Amino acid sequence: STTTLTTPQNQVESLMHEMADEAGLDLNLELPQGQTGSVGTSVASAEQDELSQRLAKLRDQM
Amino acid sequence: GGVLMSAKINATNSSGELIKNYHKQAFEYISKALRIDEDDSVAKGEAVQWYKKGIAELEKGIAIEITGTDDRSKRLQDKMVTNLTMAKDRLALLEATLASKSKNN
Repeated sequence: STTTLTTPQNQVESLMHEMADEAGLDLNLELPQGQTGSVGTSVASAEQDELSQRLAKLRDQM
Repeated sequence: GGVLMSAKINATNSSGELIKNYHKQAFEYISKALRIDEDDSVAKGEAVQWYKKGIAELEKGIAIEITGTDDRSKRLQDKMVTNLTMAKDRLALLEATLASKSKNN
């Protein structure tokens, strides 16, 4: 629309930066770095457990 | 991909992240080995190389010293030690079985 075309570029950019900053802040509040890291480690631990179970099964077959 | 892996290691330098990355590689390799090993309709010789690759990654992950108190990473390493022993035992048995088979043929 004509409204979008006549909006000055720098205003659009500053608004986008503002939105990005707000979104970044919200994201950080919800998912702190340490939290995501420990979730990954729990998944990794569960995967190691899976390998143990499958290796034990093969061992017991012999 | 190897390039992605090393980029990730450089970006996140903590011991926990390193251990997790070695876990991921080891999990991928040993899962491949197990899929071959669990299937009685395929030749098991190919499982040997995947077990060996997985064992090498487990050893690298176990060798990393954990900085600070990181109980989750410690527990992950303990599980990797268990699987290192089990994978080595399995590999030894598999190699012995394959060797005796080729002797009989």
